[in-house]
Amino acid sequence: MGQTNPPFMSGVPELLLLQQLAQREMYGYELVRSIRLVTGEAISLGEGVIYPVLHSLERNGALKAKRKAVAGRTRVYYSLTAKGRKRLQRLQSEWQRIQSGITAALESPGHA
Amino acid sequence: MREKPFRGLRSRLLAIGVAPRTVGRTLLELQDHLDDLQAEAIERGHAPEEALRHARRSIGDIDTIVAAMRERHELRSWHYRFPRVARLALPLAYVALLPVAPLFTGVSYAATIMRWTASLMLAAAVTATMFLLLQLSIVFS
Repeated sequence: MGQTNPPFMSGVPELLLLQQLAQREMYGYELVRSIRLVTGEAISLGEGVIYPVLHSLERNGALKAKRKAVAGRTRVYYSLTAKGRKRLQRLQSEWQRIQSGITAALESPGHA
Repeated sequence: MREKPFRGLRSRLLAIGVAPRTVGRTLLELQDHLDDLQAEAIERGHAPEEALRHARRSIGDIDTIVAAMRERHELRSWHYRFPRVARLALPLAYVALLPVAPLFTGVSYAATIMRWTASLMLAAAVTATMFLLLQLSIVFS
Protein backbone atom coordinates (compact mmCIF):
# COMPACT_ATOMS: atom_id res chain seq x y z
CA MET A 1 0.00 0.00 0.00
CA GLY A 2 1.35 3.43 -0.90
CA GLN A 3 2.39 5.86 1.79
CA THR A 4 -0.17 8.44 2.73
CA ASN A 5 0.73 12.10 2.51
CA PRO A 6 0.82 13.72 5.91
CA PRO A 7 -0.53 17.25 5.92
CA PHE A 8 2.56 18.31 4.00
CA MET A 9 1.62 21.93 3.48
CA SER A 10 1.27 22.44 7.22
CA GLY A 11 4.66 20.72 7.59
CA VAL A 12 6.38 23.27 5.34
CA PRO A 13 7.18 25.81 8.07
CA GLU A 14 8.54 23.01 10.23
CA LEU A 15 10.72 21.69 7.40
CA LEU A 16 12.07 25.17 6.60
CA LEU A 17 12.77 25.99 10.24
CA LEU A 18 14.60 22.72 10.83
CA GLN A 19 16.54 23.14 7.59
CA GLN A 20 17.72 26.61 8.58
CA LEU A 21 18.60 25.56 12.10
CA ALA A 22 20.67 22.67 10.72
CA GLN A 23 23.11 25.35 9.50
CA ARG A 24 23.49 27.26 12.78
CA GLU A 25 21.57 28.40 15.84
CA MET A 26 19.23 31.37 15.29
CA TYR A 27 16.50 33.39 17.00
CA GLY A 28 12.99 33.92 15.62
CA TYR A 29 13.46 37.12 13.65
CA GLU A 30 16.74 35.85 12.20
CA LEU A 31 15.05 32.61 11.14
CA VAL A 32 12.26 34.39 9.26
CA ARG A 33 14.79 36.59 7.46
CA SER A 34 16.92 33.58 6.59
CA ILE A 35 13.94 31.63 5.18
CA ARG A 36 12.87 34.61 3.14
CA LEU A 37 16.39 34.91 1.74
CA VAL A 38 16.97 31.24 0.87
CA THR A 39 13.54 30.83 -0.73
CA GLY A 40 14.02 33.98 -2.80
CA GLU A 41 11.03 35.48 -0.96
CA ALA A 42 8.83 32.80 -2.56
CA ILE A 43 7.82 31.65 0.91
CA SER A 44 7.06 34.22 3.52
CA LEU A 45 5.90 32.82 6.84
CA GLY A 46 3.42 34.65 9.04
CA GLU A 47 6.04 35.96 11.40
CA GLY A 48 4.03 35.67 14.60
CA VAL A 49 3.08 32.06 13.97
CA ILE A 50 6.60 30.67 13.87
CA TYR A 51 6.76 30.74 17.67
CA PRO A 52 4.08 28.09 18.22
CA VAL A 53 5.99 25.89 15.72
CA LEU A 54 9.34 26.54 17.42
CA HIS A 55 7.93 25.90 20.90
CA SER A 56 6.24 22.75 19.73
CA LEU A 57 9.46 21.43 18.16
CA GLU A 58 11.28 22.24 21.37
CA ARG A 59 8.65 20.44 23.44
CA ASN A 60 9.06 17.38 21.19
CA GLY A 61 12.82 17.42 21.67
CA ALA A 62 13.70 18.41 18.10
CA LEU A 63 15.06 21.80 19.17
CA LYS A 64 16.92 23.20 22.13
CA ALA A 65 16.33 26.79 23.26
CA LYS A 66 18.88 28.91 25.04
CA ARG A 67 18.63 32.52 26.24
CA LYS A 68 21.55 34.74 25.34
CA ALA A 69 22.20 38.38 26.16
CA VAL A 70 23.10 40.21 22.95
CA ALA A 71 23.62 43.99 22.84
CA GLY A 72 21.66 44.51 26.04
CA ARG A 73 18.75 42.32 24.92
CA THR A 74 17.92 38.77 25.84
CA ARG A 75 17.27 36.63 22.82
CA VAL A 76 16.08 33.05 22.64
CA TYR A 77 18.33 31.07 20.31
CA TYR A 78 17.20 27.74 18.88
CA SER A 79 19.46 24.91 17.80
CA LEU A 80 18.82 21.47 16.35
CA THR A 81 19.15 18.33 18.47
CA ALA A 82 19.97 14.82 17.24
CA LYS A 83 16.25 14.06 17.30
CA GLY A 84 15.66 17.21 15.25
CA ARG A 85 18.18 16.09 12.61
CA LYS A 86 16.35 12.78 12.25
CA ARG A 87 13.05 14.61 11.95
CA LEU A 88 14.54 16.89 9.30
CA GLN A 89 15.78 13.90 7.27
CA ARG A 90 12.34 12.32 7.47
CA LEU A 91 10.58 15.53 6.40
CA GLN A 92 13.07 16.06 3.56
CA SER A 93 12.49 12.58 2.15
CA GLU A 94 8.70 13.01 2.49
CA TRP A 95 8.89 16.30 0.69
CA GLN A 96 11.10 14.90 -2.07
CA ARG A 97 8.66 12.02 -2.57
CA ILE A 98 5.75 14.46 -2.90
CA GLN A 99 7.76 16.72 -5.20
CA SER A 100 8.67 13.78 -7.47
CA GLY A 101 5.03 12.72 -7.60
CA ILE A 102 3.84 16.17 -8.56
CA THR A 103 6.63 16.61 -11.12
CA ALA A 104 5.75 13.23 -12.68
CA ALA A 105 2.09 14.21 -12.84
CA LEU A 106 2.86 17.53 -14.47
CA GLU A 107 5.18 15.94 -17.03
CA SER A 108 2.87 13.04 -17.91
CA PRO A 109 1.63 13.04 -21.55
CA GLY A 110 -1.98 13.29 -20.41
CA HIS A 111 -1.27 16.61 -18.71
CA ALA A 112 -2.96 19.39 -20.62
CA MET B 1 4.86 55.35 27.31
CA ARG B 2 5.60 52.19 25.34
CA GLU B 3 2.53 50.62 23.74
CA LYS B 4 1.64 47.03 24.48
CA PRO B 5 0.53 45.56 21.14
CA PHE B 6 0.07 42.07 22.63
CA ARG B 7 -1.99 43.20 25.62
CA GLY B 8 -4.93 40.88 25.00
CA LEU B 9 -2.83 37.93 23.89
CA ARG B 10 -1.75 36.73 27.34
CA SER B 11 -5.29 36.23 28.63
CA ARG B 12 -6.45 34.62 25.39
CA LEU B 13 -3.59 32.11 25.38
CA LEU B 14 -4.14 31.30 29.05
CA ALA B 15 -7.86 30.87 28.34
CA ILE B 16 -7.17 28.15 25.75
CA GLY B 17 -4.92 26.36 28.23
CA VAL B 18 -1.43 27.27 27.01
CA ALA B 19 1.09 26.75 29.82
CA PRO B 20 1.87 30.07 31.58
CA ARG B 21 5.61 29.66 31.04
CA THR B 22 5.08 29.21 27.28
CA VAL B 23 2.77 32.25 27.23
CA GLY B 24 5.42 34.39 28.96
CA ARG B 25 8.14 33.35 26.54
CA THR B 26 5.92 33.77 23.49
CA LEU B 27 5.10 37.34 24.51
CA LEU B 28 8.76 38.11 25.11
CA GLU B 29 9.80 36.73 21.73
CA LEU B 30 6.96 38.44 19.87
CA GLN B 31 7.83 41.79 21.45
CA ASP B 32 11.49 41.32 20.49
CA HIS B 33 10.49 40.35 16.98
CA LEU B 34 8.27 43.40 16.69
CA ASP B 35 11.11 45.66 17.88
CA ASP B 36 13.44 44.14 15.28
CA LEU B 37 10.89 44.60 12.50
CA GLN B 38 10.31 48.20 13.53
CA ALA B 39 14.05 48.90 13.63
CA GLU B 40 14.42 47.36 10.17
CA ALA B 41 11.61 49.54 8.78
CA ILE B 42 13.16 52.66 10.33
CA GLU B 43 16.48 51.75 8.69
CA ARG B 44 14.66 51.59 5.35
CA GLY B 45 13.54 55.18 5.93
CA HIS B 46 10.08 54.83 7.49
CA ALA B 47 8.96 57.17 10.27
CA PRO B 48 8.71 55.39 13.68
CA GLU B 49 4.88 55.21 13.66
CA GLU B 50 4.74 53.96 10.09
CA ALA B 51 7.51 51.48 10.95
CA LEU B 52 5.46 50.17 13.88
CA ARG B 53 2.39 49.73 11.68
CA HIS B 54 4.50 47.87 9.15
CA ALA B 55 5.97 45.67 11.91
CA ARG B 56 2.50 44.81 13.21
CA ARG B 57 1.32 43.82 9.76
CA SER B 58 4.32 41.50 9.36
CA ILE B 59 3.80 39.86 12.76
CA GLY B 60 0.15 39.18 11.92
CA ASP B 61 -2.98 39.61 13.97
CA ILE B 62 -3.58 38.17 17.41
CA ASP B 63 -6.38 35.86 16.17
CA THR B 64 -3.94 34.09 13.84
CA ILE B 65 -1.37 33.63 16.61
CA VAL B 66 -4.04 32.29 18.99
CA ALA B 67 -5.29 29.89 16.28
CA ALA B 68 -1.72 28.65 15.65
CA MET B 69 -1.24 28.05 19.38
CA ARG B 70 -4.57 26.26 19.67
CA GLU B 71 -3.43 23.70 17.06
CA ARG B 72 -0.40 22.80 19.21
CA HIS B 73 -1.89 20.55 21.82
CA GLU B 74 1.52 19.83 23.37
CA LEU B 75 1.93 23.49 24.39
CA ARG B 76 -1.01 23.31 26.79
CA SER B 77 -0.72 22.88 30.55
CA TRP B 78 -0.75 19.27 31.70
CA HIS B 79 -4.21 19.59 33.27
CA TYR B 80 -5.61 20.65 29.87
CA ARG B 81 -3.85 17.76 28.15
CA PHE B 82 -4.89 15.17 30.74
CA PRO B 83 -8.17 16.46 32.21
CA ARG B 84 -9.18 13.07 33.66
CA VAL B 85 -5.89 12.75 35.55
CA ALA B 86 -6.23 16.35 36.75
CA ARG B 87 -9.79 15.76 37.99
CA LEU B 88 -8.50 12.88 40.09
CA ALA B 89 -5.08 14.18 41.12
CA LEU B 90 -5.84 17.79 41.96
CA PRO B 91 -8.45 17.14 44.71
CA LEU B 92 -6.11 14.52 46.23
CA ALA B 93 -3.21 16.98 46.15
CA TYR B 94 -5.34 19.64 47.84
CA VAL B 95 -6.41 17.20 50.57
CA ALA B 96 -2.77 16.20 51.12
CA LEU B 97 -1.75 19.86 51.41
CA LEU B 98 -4.58 20.79 53.78
CA PRO B 99 -2.65 20.07 57.03
CA VAL B 100 0.19 22.36 55.97
CA ALA B 101 -2.10 25.08 54.61
CA PRO B 102 -1.79 27.21 57.81
CA LEU B 103 1.98 27.12 57.42
CA PHE B 104 1.76 28.39 53.81
CA THR B 105 -0.71 31.05 54.94
CA GLY B 106 1.62 32.04 57.76
CA VAL B 107 4.53 32.45 55.36
CA SER B 108 2.44 34.33 52.78
CA TYR B 109 0.97 36.73 55.35
CA ALA B 110 3.96 36.87 57.71
CA ALA B 111 4.06 40.68 57.84
CA THR B 112 0.33 40.97 58.63
CA ILE B 113 0.50 38.25 61.27
CA MET B 114 3.48 39.98 62.91
CA ARG B 115 1.58 43.30 62.98
CA TRP B 116 -1.48 41.67 64.56
CA THR B 117 0.67 39.82 67.10
CA ALA B 118 2.48 43.04 68.05
CA SER B 119 -0.87 44.87 68.39
CA LEU B 120 -2.28 42.12 70.61
CA MET B 121 0.83 42.10 72.82
CA LEU B 122 0.69 45.87 73.15
CA ALA B 123 -3.01 45.72 74.05
CA ALA B 124 -2.28 42.97 76.64
CA ALA B 125 0.56 45.04 78.14
CA VAL B 126 -1.68 48.14 78.40
CA THR B 127 -4.48 46.10 80.04
CA ALA B 128 -2.02 44.46 82.49
CA THR B 129 -0.59 47.87 83.42
CA MET B 130 -4.10 49.24 84.06
CA PHE B 131 -4.94 46.24 86.25
CA LEU B 132 -1.65 46.68 88.13
CA LEU B 133 -2.37 50.38 88.73
CA LEU B 134 -5.90 49.53 89.90
CA GLN B 135 -4.53 46.85 92.23
CA LEU B 136 -1.91 49.25 93.63
CA SER B 137 -4.50 51.96 94.18
CA ILE B 138 -6.64 49.46 96.17
CA VAL B 139 -3.67 48.27 98.21
CA PHE B 140 -2.44 51.74 99.13
CA SER B 141 -5.81 53.41 99.65
